[in-house]
Amino acid sequence: MNILVCFTVIPELEMLIDEDWVVDENLQIDVGFLKHSLNCYDESALEIALKFSDAARKRHVSPNLSALTIAGPEANPILKTLNALRFNRVVRIDNHDDIRFNSMAIASMLSQYVSNRMPQDVLLMGWQSGIGENAKTPLLVAEMLGWPCITQVTEIEPVDNNHLMVTCQVDDGRLQQTIQIPCVMSIGNAPNSYMRIPALKDRMQFGKRPVEVLHASDFEPFDEGIELVSLDVINHERSGILIEGATPEEKARKLYKSFLAERLKKL
Amino acid sequence: MIFKVILIGCSANIVDQAEELNGFIAENLGRGDHGCSTILFCSKKQEKNALLNLVPTESVKLVTVAGYRPETILEALKMVENIEETHLYLFPGGYAGSELAVRWAFRIKGSSLVQVSQLEYTENQLIAKKKVYSDYVLGVFRLKKKPYCIAPARGSASSLPIRVKRPLNVTEHDMTQLHKDRFVKSSKWTADETTGDLEKAKFILIGGRGMSNAENAEKLKKIAGSMGADFGVSRPVAMNAWSTMDKIVGVSGAVTKPDVCIVAGASGAAAFYAGIEKSKYIVAINKDIRAPIIKSSDVAIIDDYKAVMDELVKLISAQT
Repeated sequence: MNILVCFTVIPELEMLIDEDWVVDENLQIDVGFLKHSLNCYDESALEIALKFSDAARKRHVSPNLSALTIAGPEANPILKTLNALRFNRVVRIDNHDDIRFNSMAIASMLSQYVSNRMPQDVLLMGWQSGIGENAKTPLLVAEMLGWPCITQVTEIEPVDNNHLMVTCQVDDGRLQQTIQIPCVMSIGNAPNSYMRIPALKDRMQFGKRPVEVLHASDFEPFDEGIELVSLDVINHERSGILIEGATPEEKARKLYKSFLAERLKKL
Repeated sequence: MIFKVILIGCSANIVDQAEELNGFIAENLGRGDHGCSTILFCSKKQEKNALLNLVPTESVKLVTVAGYRPETILEALKMVENIEETHLYLFPGGYAGSELAVRWAFRIKGSSLVQVSQLEYTENQLIAKKKVYSDYVLGVFRLKKKPYCIAPARGSASSLPIRVKRPLNVTEHDMTQLHKDRFVKSSKWTADETTGDLEKAKFILIGGRGMSNAENAEKLKKIAGSMGADFGVSRPVAMNAWSTMDKIVGVSGAVTKPDVCIVAGASGAAAFYAGIEKSKYIVAINKDIRAPIIKSSDVAIIDDYKAVMDELVKLISAQT
């Protein structure tokens, strides 16, 4: 069973201070100096794939795990980590175009990779990422491939070579389904899915394996049908009155007496 | 503009879907032109008159399907709908609505945007606003290809009960024989806890990563109960399994609008803040004066949240 996890690395935006949030004339915000880390839902997708692989091995089946990102060299440290975690293949589609809000372009590259270069049975990816917040890519990949898509997936277990047991959240509860592959899985809020850390010996032995690099220009472009008009930084500020006091108890009493008691009475 | 409203009647949250979309229409589109209608999907065993009371337009296509399956709903939509006459499709704001909006737009060669907070239709073009950059920034987008398919962000509009002149113009379509879900071999639905209660709560206490462990999260949950508050958490808390997923507040969980919201030990990243920004009054308790939640609160205490909450719960319990 060939499993491909598609992921993105994003800048750690919470490190920006108010003055850093500047939109330039090209509708860009300079975040290049920030540390990059895995998009949280993609991190869950990678760990779910690793857990699935562990469970499958116990049944003497070894899935072939690949990981792919569309990014510049900022993704290399994560790709090395994925090598050390024993992904069979790690791929970076080198891209320098602005695809922040272009899910069609992203989905098109991913689906072309699967159709034309490396056939897969299961695709896993987070349901959205922290810059574009498009929440469209897995759905579009499924449409382009003509595959079904299961959304808000939280757990995947092996059944046999052609079937998986998939648990997902739906608007009014939880759904557990046995499905036939191929399928796209869009990963949601999955508990206990922080990505594991590779052992030092695996980092030494496998971490330096080469990353396969492809180029975005090798793929046919796809028009999104959406045009960015402007970006406006949101001001979340409120009055932020600080309560002073010698002890936490004194501060709590001041909070209650001056700010909360009347409000709570009205509830 | 002619718009169509899509409602998924075979989902348990149908009332929320209908009232949220009705509010979104009132705040963004008005009543629309003649020809606006609703496509309501339901299952065979449902009470149809009750569902029809949730329709926000004067005419409706009532489509009966075997059950909610995205693949089947999309195929049924293709069979009952005339896309030539429609400018805009409005889907519900939850998981299901967002999925259908994106996939339907792809199939009809239109354009889609989900988690939309505001719409403007001027000079024959649709402008949509939505939060981007982990909710730090508001993006304004022009949709270039009709038909447009939109799913609003949850909580982006006030829920508005349906008041439409009756009788409705109803046409019925039986699609119960349609099965586009052959890839599903077996299926079991469980009525899990959902974020619905948190979204309706008037008083909320939310714990963040500062709780440090499951034991402290459980203690704060008990304090919430003693104070008469609903309990919520930030996403990292649930990801660490210190609390259940249905307690998450923020972009990926409940979008709340309480009268009073106390945030203990959460830094207040924008993706979390999106879940509390509609609170009338926000109290922050955090050891770090540089945490973003301090500036985003109405009143704040810089201290260890445990000692503050232990005292506060005594005061509030004594009052009630």
